[in-house]
Amino acid sequence: MDIKDFEVDGDGFLTKPELWNEEVAKMFAKSDGIEEMTPKHWAVVNIIRKNFEEKGNAPMVRTICQETGLKLREIYELFPLGPARGACRVAGLPKPDGCV
Amino acid sequence: MIISAWISIAALIWCIAFLVSYLIGLIRKGAPKDLSERSGNTVKGIIYSNTGAMLPAAKESAYMHLPTYTAGMIFHIGNFLSLLMFVWIIVCCCCNISTPAVLALILAALLTVSSLCGIFILIKRFVNVNLRSISCFDDFFSNIICTLFQIAGICIMLSFSNICTYTDACSADRLCLMNFYFIVAAILFIWMPLGKIKHLIYYFAARYHLGFFYGWRNTWPPKHI
Amino acid sequence: MDTITKEQRKAALDLMKANLASDSKFQTHLNACVRCGLCATSCMYYIAFKDPKYIPGRKVNLVSSIYRRYFTPEGKYFPSLFNARNLDAEMAEEMVDCLFGGCTMCGRCVKHCSIGVDVSYIVKKGREMLAVMGLVPKTLQATVDAAINTGNNMAIPTEEFVDTIKWMEEELQDEMGDPKANIPLDETNRHIIYTLNPREPKFFPLSISAMAKVFYAAGESWTLSSKYYDVTNYGFFNGNNEEAAKIAGYLYDETHRLKADKLVLGECGHGSRASRWEGPNLLKKAYDFEMTTALELMAEYIRTGRIKVDKTKNQTLCTLHDPCNLVRNGGLLEEMRFVVKSCVANFVEMTPHGNDNFCCGGGGGQLAMSEYNERRLKIGGIKADQIKATGAKIVITPCHNCVDQLMQINHTYKLGVTIKTVAEIVADALVLPDPASPHDNPADTAAETVADPLHTDSNSSK
Repeated sequence: MDIKDFEVDGDGFLTKPELWNEEVAKMFAKSDGIEEMTPKHWAVVNIIRKNFEEKGNAPMVRTICQETGLKLREIYELFPLGPARGACRVAGLPKPDGCV
Repeated sequence: MIISAWISIAALIWCIAFLVSYLIGLIRKGAPKDLSERSGNTVKGIIYSNTGAMLPAAKESAYMHLPTYTAGMIFHIGNFLSLLMFVWIIVCCCCNISTPAVLALILAALLTVSSLCGIFILIKRFVNVNLRSISCFDDFFSNIICTLFQIAGICIMLSFSNICTYTDACSADRLCLMNFYFIVAAILFIWMPLGKIKHLIYYFAARYHLGFFYGWRNTWPPKHI
Repeated sequence: MDTITKEQRKAALDLMKANLASDSKFQTHLNACVRCGLCATSCMYYIAFKDPKYIPGRKVNLVSSIYRRYFTPEGKYFPSLFNARNLDAEMAEEMVDCLFGGCTMCGRCVKHCSIGVDVSYIVKKGREMLAVMGLVPKTLQATVDAAINTGNNMAIPTEEFVDTIKWMEEELQDEMGDPKANIPLDETNRHIIYTLNPREPKFFPLSISAMAKVFYAAGESWTLSSKYYDVTNYGFFNGNNEEAAKIAGYLYDETHRLKADKLVLGECGHGSRASRWEGPNLLKKAYDFEMTTALELMAEYIRTGRIKVDKTKNQTLCTLHDPCNLVRNGGLLEEMRFVVKSCVANFVEMTPHGNDNFCCGGGGGQLAMSEYNERRLKIGGIKADQIKATGAKIVITPCHNCVDQLMQINHTYKLGVTIKTVAEIVADALVLPDPASPHDNPADTAAETVADPLHTDSNSSK
């Protein structure tokens, strides 16, 4: 399986978020330079995924911190591209609107 | 005066009428009415737009392309010179006077250099793939007609200095040359307001607008940091 | 694009006609280009791709060929001689590709044009024509729609925004060791109403607390709106002036509603431009309150001694990225350097910089258009090389749009730098007053009398 097997938009976000699974997450993470998905990575991704499935959009970074107990700076360290282009992409969300 | 001279004068009137109408149109419409709070000085911006901003050191289009820039400048000087020369030749025709030999030689020499620059730019437009891709008939023709006007001017200067006056059609050859010169002039004047040579007016308008815009926002004149 | 309907064409041509009639600027720039092609090497797209379709003069030519075809007799009767083109499907497709997808409207070519053609102005006018034809790229339009419908371009619900602000306020109070340090929400009659880029509350809230820290140090009387705080205006980029006016109107109206004296535009290049320079023209009225950028405000604080900064607190070598809309198109060249140089000990300029600086590559709405993502990252390579050459470890820029693009460039080109806003740098350099000594200014007294805005529902639920 390869990223090329999936339909992504110009920014590399999944166009069909329902096709997402853990393997996809690992693949996307790897392409962002995250060699290994640690439990902290998964915690962030799962919260984003949950929020997306419930509300149809990406959660605030505040929600991510609150639910995972991680510090803001840790999130930026875990996902060097930030919560949007980094974590949300790994979580299989479509690209959020705006300056991200 | 020979008939071709009259034709060229008629063409000149057509040209001036058009250019003046463009100018009046622009003045009538006026500058954009900007409701934002001005931060800089538009007068200084416009002055800078026509002075400092035009220096070769201020523009990549000049300092990164020095051969083309230099050729372009010389070509334009030649064009203005040719236009002045046209007026002078008409005056000579009317008043039955002639150009002093030394002056005629100097003018011919200058125009030789400038027309070579015109040819260089023309060749570049043909050869350079990028340039050709953004060019249309007008771009080639405007250059050709200006260069031709300069070359015709050289011929006139070389054959009609103080040896004989312009109205003195001493030979069929010279009459032919006169006709050639005035016909080229007529075509140039007819083309000028239609094709891109109308930037004769719009260039100054563009400098004005740019100076106004950057002056309003306090970008020009540039600050030293 | 298969066809262009008669109605679409008519709408575009009517708009062109109206623009031609309004003032002499449009007519001037449509007629001034001589297609010398020397602008090519000033354009990031051309430099990165070497494709003649990106030559700025060619972009101008797309719009001007329509002008010649429909508004000049020579173009009407001899179209092939003057490159006068019909506004058909093929033309519209080229326009979308080049004017939306191939230009950041940075205006670098304008400054270097041998004539002085305002290329980005013409590109903007071209986008306006595409907008009335309904041809705005989907992702860009989605961002505008979100702003129109929800008040912010990320559609953040008010409660979630308020939660984040309260969170940042707690962090601020902890950091300052002062329970009175606050981030006021929906307060009326404050001196300043401050604005944000929605990406701050959504994903990068540290710049909010940085600015709050600066306000705290300055003892400023300020507030945020919980509903209309979005400084961005993608309506400036999608070419739909009605939408742009509506978004600009949100901030105008909110400033009035909260009875603030001054609207302070957060660190966002195009957003500042859309309010500061375009806003009054979009709303067709001069603003009756003061308006300034956060950058100028911080410069004023430092200059007047209202805040004290110690540059030795920032020792890492820093460089500065000039946002096109604040510098070339906003005249803040000096102000920006004054602030940054006051706050960092080691500073190096990029080459080129200032009015000659290259765009980050994310301007002109590019960051919102997934369609052209690859191009955006490719042209960003120019900025990457510039940054690399400075050897700096921190890149400062007063624009969140630039910040996001720079973050991606940082990752893509493995630069290993940190990207910071100016407020973050100023906050790091702040010398804070002793919390024990109360400073006597209106903000403090105001802060004392204000109840927790979270629980004053009359305000927060607007």
